[in-house]
Amino acid sequence: MLFIHDTSCISPQLSFGDVDLQLLQPVVNRRLMAKEPDYKGIPPGILRRMGKAVRMGVGAAVPLLQRAGIPEGIILGTAIGGMEDCIKFLNQIIEYDEGMLTPGNFVQSTTNAVAAQIGLMNKNTGYNITHVHRGLAFEMALLDTFMKAEEQPDALWLTGAVDEISSYNYNIERLGGWYKEEIVSNEDLYNSGTKGTLAGEGAAMFLLSGIKQNAFAKIVAVETIHTDDAGFVAERWNRFLENNPSDLIISGDNGDSRLNQYYAHLIPDPNNGTDLVRFKHLCGEYPTASSFATWLACYILQGQPVPGSLYQFPAKNPGYKSISIINNYKGQQHSFINLSCP
Amino acid sequence: MEKEALKLQLKQQIVKFLNLVSTKPEDIKDDEPLFGDGLGLDSIDSLELIVLLQREYGININDPKEGRKILVDINTMVDFIEKNRTK
Amino acid sequence: MSRILVTGIGLVSAIGNNAAENRKSLAEGHCGISQLEGFPSRFAGIMPFGEIKIRNQQLIEKFGQHQAGVTRPCLLALMAMEEAIADASVTNAELSDFSTALINATTVGGMCLTDELFHDANAADEGSPYLSSYDCADTAIFLQKHYRIGGIINSINTACSSSANSIAFGAALIKSGRAKRVIAGGVDCLAKFTINGFNSLHILSNELCRPFDISRKGLNLGEAAAYLVLEPEEELRGKKYYAELTGYANSNDAYHPSSLSDNGVGPYKSMMDALEKAELLPAQIDYINAHGTGTENNDAVESIAMQRVFGTVPAFSSTKANTGHTLGAAGSLEAAYCILNLSNQELYPALQFETAIPETGYIPNLKFKPAEIKHVMSNSFGFGGNCTSLIFSLT
Repeated sequence: MLFIHDTSCISPQLSFGDVDLQLLQPVVNRRLMAKEPDYKGIPPGILRRMGKAVRMGVGAAVPLLQRAGIPEGIILGTAIGGMEDCIKFLNQIIEYDEGMLTPGNFVQSTTNAVAAQIGLMNKNTGYNITHVHRGLAFEMALLDTFMKAEEQPDALWLTGAVDEISSYNYNIERLGGWYKEEIVSNEDLYNSGTKGTLAGEGAAMFLLSGIKQNAFAKIVAVETIHTDDAGFVAERWNRFLENNPSDLIISGDNGDSRLNQYYAHLIPDPNNGTDLVRFKHLCGEYPTASSFATWLACYILQGQPVPGSLYQFPAKNPGYKSISIINNYKGQQHSFINLSCP
Repeated sequence: MEKEALKLQLKQQIVKFLNLVSTKPEDIKDDEPLFGDGLGLDSIDSLELIVLLQREYGININDPKEGRKILVDINTMVDFIEKNRTK
Repeated sequence: MSRILVTGIGLVSAIGNNAAENRKSLAEGHCGISQLEGFPSRFAGIMPFGEIKIRNQQLIEKFGQHQAGVTRPCLLALMAMEEAIADASVTNAELSDFSTALINATTVGGMCLTDELFHDANAADEGSPYLSSYDCADTAIFLQKHYRIGGIINSINTACSSSANSIAFGAALIKSGRAKRVIAGGVDCLAKFTINGFNSLHILSNELCRPFDISRKGLNLGEAAAYLVLEPEEELRGKKYYAELTGYANSNDAYHPSSLSDNGVGPYKSMMDALEKAELLPAQIDYINAHGTGTENNDAVESIAMQRVFGTVPAFSSTKANTGHTLGAAGSLEAAYCILNLSNQELYPALQFETAIPETGYIPNLKFKPAEIKHVMSNSFGFGGNCTSLIFSLT
């Protein structure tokens, strides 16, 4: 059991500071870009070096650390980290033909740079790790935190995830056929009937521990699967729901017609009170998008209203107490996360 | 190039190269230490500045320790550039 | 609490294609650092590298991996995995069981294909076959599919300590009952990306690296893949094992993005915490496989941190003088070397060392010798202050 004591999220929506999810921030040219705050909590001398992923990750962590002090450790998930710096460095290699190159991009480009920078600013000499397992990087950070909290229940952990859209990784994914060719609005994402999705990005951070006191929610279970067999995913999902009865399902449907098969079994039984919402028209698709869904689940469990644009079917049963998230990345990596009131 | 013009040009290059977003070139004093308490640069910046000298002035410095003797303040950098520039 | 045992190892490096070849090279003091042949680079011929002299095509043929998008890290990982799985007698049924986990580490991943990545990141037309191969998860996902591994799959990147952390994470999975069998390790290949990156930081040496020597000039990059099979004692059923993983700890130096603090806050803490986890006193450690990259900063700081932990340092050396610095593979490669030390009761000679650094006067073990060793420590420190220490014991 992981108890959630604080959260923070930088996303394409108004999720940081004064949260307003009713006012839907629109997709621009197939990209949902994060609404970056002014990062007042990051000293300018440090901020100037940061690429977007590092900036968003550190920026989302700062308010939690300002309130919590020094946690026991920092446990992050990111699939690509500072991809933009990485390609900037690569472009230097080619442009200057392996001549004298500036090291700044190289140092910022390693995927562990976000956790490292948070550790540096927080003067945190504790556990520090970066999970980079693509579409399950955030889930692996959660799993790691579960194991840490089982060993040291009263310790506090900063756990989260970040991934960015750079023009480079956008291009790589575009060439791979993962984004929609046509222009689609947020609202029409799920009705397009075509392959591909919208690019997204963001950072979500959580303060977690093994103790209930002062917690507003808890993460009960995390499960991950590698397969492309939709039947196998459905079977495991049904077992997951048996063990974790839920009154709200958050689906990772991203409007890619090729991936519909992994969500088809979610259509709720009209006799059963479970509601179903989707979130990728808010944050877009990125490998650690389930961290946004986890933040959203926290928001809902705190009694905040669910925006109408999220419901796949009319809401039957608001006032949710137990929420399960089902997500997959490119149909190969699948995850289930259950959260509930503490 | 006049020394004063070179100083301003160097300051502009440093601000741009190191992305010193909150510093204006003209705010950098000629004798203000670049590292530590002055401008607050660090060892990675010193490696970046060595690359700046190479790309903008054709000066090759291969030993970072040698670099730190030159990268003291704007005055020392300009003196060195005037003596050693190849472009 | 169940004991975590190492039941198999598999490794490929510049000094050998398997455990036996690596052991022979270590014992004979063989240095595998040589001229770069595998791909064109301005640094080929100028700087030496710990290159594995097997071409990708040979590995593709050997393992029948003709499908598009398979990278050198996947192929080298497969080579080391084959040995580890056979060494631990893990069956196909066991591999596909939900209780078998795979934890891989890498820092470069498919970015070793620097030119392809440059094309795919910038091109408007068609992509290369490697569009989904660049990230750090690609190798683990490749291995999962190849072996149909049924349990938890993860990829870790904490820079040069990555695969030490995959071993520690694997141990935690077993301790918490989430796995009965973990294959943990890492792989990294030589790449223009890392060569230029380390060069831009002025920490590559154009000579053979000289760990812990006063005149050290920097590190040599290398490449390797190494995996350990970890299993809890109660699952062994009479199977052989090499050693017990008794200690593991991860800490952060929290000082600088690419260098260590003067008195080694992070290295000191990772060593001390690993000792505490293993319930050992510093004096009980018989040998340390040091991080020892051969850079001015690392070796000075690591020596000082060892002095703070041990007072009188036990036998130590850095095998990076044999293999080069293999980045994300270094932690598990050197863990496998510790297993060789323990299971053969021998110490290997440190290479390229002449004069001790004045701060500590520490001299690494210089001769091959049989030795009674019970507890060995392996240090791995990385950019971003990521420090991890592992302890293996004969119990």
